[in-house]
Amino acid sequence: MRLFKIKKQNLIPFLRGLEGFGELWGPVKKGNNFVYVRAKPEDFDLTALRTIIPAKKFFLPSKFTSLKFRDNRWEDNYRPRKRVIFGLHPCEIHALNIYHKFYTRLYPDPYYLRSKAATLVVGLSCIPDEHCFCYATGTSTVNEGFDLFLTDLGDRFLVWVGSPRGEDSLKLVEKFLEEATQEDISRYVSWRKKRDASFKLKVDLDGMPEIVSFSYDSPIWEKMGNACLSCGTCTMVCPTCTCFDLEDEYDLKRDEMKRDRFWYSCVFREYSMVAGGHNFREARSERLKLWYTHKLVGFMSEYGSPACTGCGRCEVSCPVGINVISVVRALRNERSTALWVKMEVENA
Amino acid sequence: MAKPKIGIYGLTGCAGDQLNILNCEDELLKIFDIFEIKSFVMASSATDEESSLDVAFVEGSVSTEKDLEDLKEIRKKAKILVAIGHCAVYGGVQAMFMDREWEKMYRKVYGKKNAVTLTKPLPPKPIASYVKVDAVLPGCPIEKEPFLKLAGLLAKGVIPRHPDFPVCAECKWKENECLLLKGEICLGPLTNSGCGAICPSLNVSCIGCWGPIEKENWEAEAFLLKERGFSTEDIVKRFSIFGGQERAEKLKKYLESKEG
Amino acid sequence: MHEVFYKQENPYMPERARIVRKYDLTEDVRFFQVRVCDQEKVFTLTSTYSPGQFMMISLPFVGEAPFSITSTPSRPGLFEFCIRKVGRLTSRLFELEENDFIWLRGPFGNGFPVENMMGKDLLFVAGGLGAAPLRSLLLYALDNRDLFGKLFYLHGARTPRDMLFREEFFQLKQRRDFQCYLTVDEDPEENWPFDKGVVTSLFKYVKVNPKNTAAVVCGPPVMYKYVVQEFMKLGIPDANIYMTLERKMKCGMGKCGQCVVGHKYVCVDGPVFTLWDVKNIKGLI
Repeated sequence: MRLFKIKKQNLIPFLRGLEGFGELWGPVKKGNNFVYVRAKPEDFDLTALRTIIPAKKFFLPSKFTSLKFRDNRWEDNYRPRKRVIFGLHPCEIHALNIYHKFYTRLYPDPYYLRSKAATLVVGLSCIPDEHCFCYATGTSTVNEGFDLFLTDLGDRFLVWVGSPRGEDSLKLVEKFLEEATQEDISRYVSWRKKRDASFKLKVDLDGMPEIVSFSYDSPIWEKMGNACLSCGTCTMVCPTCTCFDLEDEYDLKRDEMKRDRFWYSCVFREYSMVAGGHNFREARSERLKLWYTHKLVGFMSEYGSPACTGCGRCEVSCPVGINVISVVRALRNERSTALWVKMEVENA
Repeated sequence: MAKPKIGIYGLTGCAGDQLNILNCEDELLKIFDIFEIKSFVMASSATDEESSLDVAFVEGSVSTEKDLEDLKEIRKKAKILVAIGHCAVYGGVQAMFMDREWEKMYRKVYGKKNAVTLTKPLPPKPIASYVKVDAVLPGCPIEKEPFLKLAGLLAKGVIPRHPDFPVCAECKWKENECLLLKGEICLGPLTNSGCGAICPSLNVSCIGCWGPIEKENWEAEAFLLKERGFSTEDIVKRFSIFGGQERAEKLKKYLESKEG
Repeated sequence: MHEVFYKQENPYMPERARIVRKYDLTEDVRFFQVRVCDQEKVFTLTSTYSPGQFMMISLPFVGEAPFSITSTPSRPGLFEFCIRKVGRLTSRLFELEENDFIWLRGPFGNGFPVENMMGKDLLFVAGGLGAAPLRSLLLYALDNRDLFGKLFYLHGARTPRDMLFREEFFQLKQRRDFQCYLTVDEDPEENWPFDKGVVTSLFKYVKVNPKNTAAVVCGPPVMYKYVVQEFMKLGIPDANIYMTLERKMKCGMGKCGQCVVGHKYVCVDGPVFTLWDVKNIKGLI
């Protein structure tokens, strides 16, 4: 256990110091939301909870050229830039751990591994809002997957070192570090109590894997399918959604072919469509069912935990209110005010 | 290998798609280098209409008998026919009215039935209503990047396929705030991708100029907009700009049933 | 899980190969023999895969798609594929000539559990293009004939013209060490010398020890239900009934997600599944 503290007023120079590792990225306000952008540390918003797009974009960008083809040869020129990403909350880091397990199993993904090696993760504690439910997914605290983790204790930050690379990076900011004392620890303990008591959203995910499995033929999928716009927003904003598609294009100016890789979504109509036009999931309800089965059951069987980290992004992003909370409530026969439930009632 | 011979043609429309091809300033020389351009009236009056073509790009809807004759000629001499722009692919804004309504509108504008003598007008339709179309590039107007991509693949002898997923995906890749959630009439979820979500990136909601995705869920979108407090009239207006009359009528019926 | 510096090859990078031979099997299905250009890789690649595995074939500008390997690792040197002209990629493949390049990745997928099948009677049922992966397993079993018990191969096609590897099977029918039955639904030219009717009508010839039989079916989706019923009638256990499934695959490595069913990625957990898998995982067929 390597634990330090820094004074609050030293946070900005501390982050500036870490820039010695690479570009500094963090959450900045955009309208009523937040996005991770490259910015000066003084522009970062420490109150940011969930960014529109999660930190998965640092590990596999929404669209990038995976291969090039020139003179009958394939080339792989993907070289991610070195980055320090600041302000990742525990749910986000848990999602990155799922990402890591997923992309390193069987055939380790070289694009992911390169990005992983190029990214220094600096976590930050948070106080939940009315959409957070990470306590229910068991992801409200984090023990691994970060290089440094900062806990905001008012006039100081606890700095927890999570990796040898994190330890190395501290050499850049040595002058701001102080030893953490017993007093700091007791402050942390009372902060934890206060934080844990501040969750407002109540949801019970217990027993979800089997409830989802048993509900395969439930009519609620059809109801959801009637309301789903198939816009794909849920999958783009979900920190553990990994699906992608590949497409070739020809850059006539440079006279080279590019094989682009971009985020794709299981709610899109062509997701399960094979050459010749047969679609294994023609109905929207089938595609939604896949999403929720995969999130709440599939990952459970594969990795021992659900692929939901309680970040609340689907909750604030789906225009018709199809999200983990409303779906779980519907599957548990609980009341819900989600728009898709209302639409079903009114159209019936 | 001989250069592929191409022709770029316009039927009824604003010629904005052809203009956007000319606007590919940095790449224009490369296009002229890769293709042998047999006809592109907007760029040069020297045309060769006798030659057969490997690829014909056609913009505009079929709105007159002359359009239809021209289109059939183009189809005959082109191995691959590509519809470019919303008018050619879906009929455009002018296809907002169907046959019956169209006659009414015609009279309102021109008076007598046979006022226009140059060529007989027809109710505006997409070119695929009359001839086989091998590839499409929607948009009003088409965008430079997707056009270059399309032209590039055609130069390599590949017939490109336009993807079928909503522009919301591109909008999220750009990390935009959702305009639907902000309470605007945004048609993103119903509209095909390709434009790169230009409008929503500038905080302007989508009006659907890239045409609808297959199996769009307009009922859900309409329900949502109604819930957000928009009037049937506003919703129908927005839907019919690029959606045609048939869709607008279905929508109106649906929304009125909600009111009643 | 800290520092990750794998020195690894990029598994998305296609391997160059040459079409050495091609000919039409039916009106819209063509047979391709392909040789990997890198001499150092040829033998390993073509001798270590399992029947039932697939490869990603790619052409620059058009893209990539999965195809079952129809050759057997017991005859290394070349990969063989049966390709039906259905989409953009396959149309382009049909335009290629011998000695042209194509690009390969793989082999991918679980393949048939050949070790589990050894010592058992084998019963294969193929319909249409399903003969492609089954031919791989059949040739493997014939090349290692003494490792297996009785061997039945039932093959159905719509018409004699639609039967893949027709001449090859005519010859194989001569062999005494296994039973090969061919049938067609229709015989418009009225010169088909063998059975007529759906493939399940061939089950009357089958004599296997059901408790010690591995049964394999591959064909169009409608066929599975009826063939599986016949397997069950024979009394073959669920875990010994195998089928290979088709899905959309873009990466072949359990990443892109497009082949996913429940929590199974068909490209790595399949494409071969047992009847128990199919009953247990909703949506597989």
